[in-house]
Amino acid sequence: MAGKSSVAAIYFAILGIVTTAFGIADILVTAGASEFAYGILEISGDLFRGGWGGVIVLFAGLFYLSGIRNFDDIHQFSKVVMGSILIWIMAGCDIFAMITESIPSWEEETGPWFNTLDGFIGTYAPPYAPAVLLLPFSLVVVYYIRKRKQEI
Amino acid sequence: MKLTIDQRWDLIDKIAKQTVTFGEYKHTLKDAIGELTIKPFTGIPIAIAVMYAFWSIFGSFAGFFTDGFFVRLFNAYWLPWLQEVFPGQGGWLYAIMVDAGGIEGGEFVLSDNCLESFGVLTSGLFVAIGVVLPAIVIFYLMLALLEDIGYMPRLAVLIDTMLHKIGLHGYAIVPTILSLGCNVPGVTATRILETKKQRFIMMTLLAIFIPCGAQIGIMQDVVPGLMGWILLYLIIGYFIFGYILNKIVPGKAPEFLIDVPPYRRPMLSNIGKKVWGRITGFFKVAIPFVLLGAAIVGVLYQLGVIRFLGDALAPVFVGWFGVPKETAGPLIAAFLRKDLAVAQLSVIEMTEYQMITAVVLVSIYFPCVATFAMMLKEGWKELLGAMAVLTVVVFAYGGLIHLIGILLGVA
Repeated sequence: MAGKSSVAAIYFAILGIVTTAFGIADILVTAGASEFAYGILEISGDLFRGGWGGVIVLFAGLFYLSGIRNFDDIHQFSKVVMGSILIWIMAGCDIFAMITESIPSWEEETGPWFNTLDGFIGTYAPPYAPAVLLLPFSLVVVYYIRKRKQEI
Repeated sequence: MKLTIDQRWDLIDKIAKQTVTFGEYKHTLKDAIGELTIKPFTGIPIAIAVMYAFWSIFGSFAGFFTDGFFVRLFNAYWLPWLQEVFPGQGGWLYAIMVDAGGIEGGEFVLSDNCLESFGVLTSGLFVAIGVVLPAIVIFYLMLALLEDIGYMPRLAVLIDTMLHKIGLHGYAIVPTILSLGCNVPGVTATRILETKKQRFIMMTLLAIFIPCGAQIGIMQDVVPGLMGWILLYLIIGYFIFGYILNKIVPGKAPEFLIDVPPYRRPMLSNIGKKVWGRITGFFKVAIPFVLLGAAIVGVLYQLGVIRFLGDALAPVFVGWFGVPKETAGPLIAAFLRKDLAVAQLSVIEMTEYQMITAVVLVSIYFPCVATFAMMLKEGWKELLGAMAVLTVVVFAYGGLIHLIGILLGVA
């Protein structure tokens, strides 16, 4: 049990460091009023998604890092869960924005009302915001929530 | 049969022994997360994330319907069709109902979009249905979700200390957030505050600094890049003038006790009923006022009243507030509908900073007529007091924003 907890603590420590780094990068890119793209990663430079959103990603990282010590304690574990919830909020908003962007054609006068299939699929292609990239890794917490429930 | 005090306690003990089970309570994950959302150190980051989600989803949803479909529907189909079939092009009725148009090279020219046409059936309907409806639907849906999950009482606890600085308490977050949908239910909700002083402060702050959902919707549509600055100015003003009001208004601002419920899974039927009730309530108030507002503003334009007022008030607008004199028209329209006023501002040529100032002025200037009526219902003394504060705030804060612009070299 203790071994499994330490694996989880190491996992969330790494995730916490990466998340915190992404949050800081978000804020720095926004402060520089520019955009940053590298491979499948894209950091928005706008004040809302990059700035406000960056602060939330940074908080998510800090929640992970503050929750890894004494991981089995419910109060500590809840911080890790909260870190994941913050990532889900950010990624959920980004994905919702993608969905709403992908459906209309955004033509103002003529042409079709709805997007083409290529355009629709293209909206979901990379690059992605940091929170979307962190999303699958943050979902690991669901396994630990279920495991804890089974133990009770 | 009459029991002595000791006998009563014995009876209570007996009943408690038979009905109450004692044991060690083990904290669940839900409890622990509930605690995290109340403690300031962890609760504030969570509140920041919740508010982010609120506005992000609001923007995406409203943009999807308004810019994705309604702009095209109204500008490419509805406006040209009405311009063609409505009789009396160039006449006063045509100008009020369909399109006020413009004069180019001495000739009457039709508008090419619903924000510039200023007609009851064009601008009026576009604002009410194309812009306000999606904004209000998503706003009330999100609000109902936060209420039913159990987050709102936690937000009230979290913000309690801060609101005490302006003479209010945590529950003041309810009228404040409700006002972000519509000021009318917001003013009604001030009744949950205990003292006259608190109700007066809250009502005044709502009328001045809280933009309604309709106004936010249209701001999101026409000046999306400036939204952050405009809201920042309003939030700062809310706390500065709240603090001042708390110092000068006599009366008490008591502490409050609140029962924080556990987090719950929201029920779809409850959410549906709440959202439906609020939307229908809003539209019963808003639609007639938007259409009436568009008609009255149209008449005032046709009679030359707006131009006259613009000329008369030009020194104040240009000199004190630093905005073009043409903003006089939208400011008068703002009394009828603030959303309509922001739409009108968007077509006036001005710098970015002037636009920020003008939109903030529209927000802090007179509450819309529906809110005005609701405030009157709460008491004419309170209304007069609020109006006096409002006049001072408009001049002081409007001038201050201009001064900040001058100091930053952007005004």
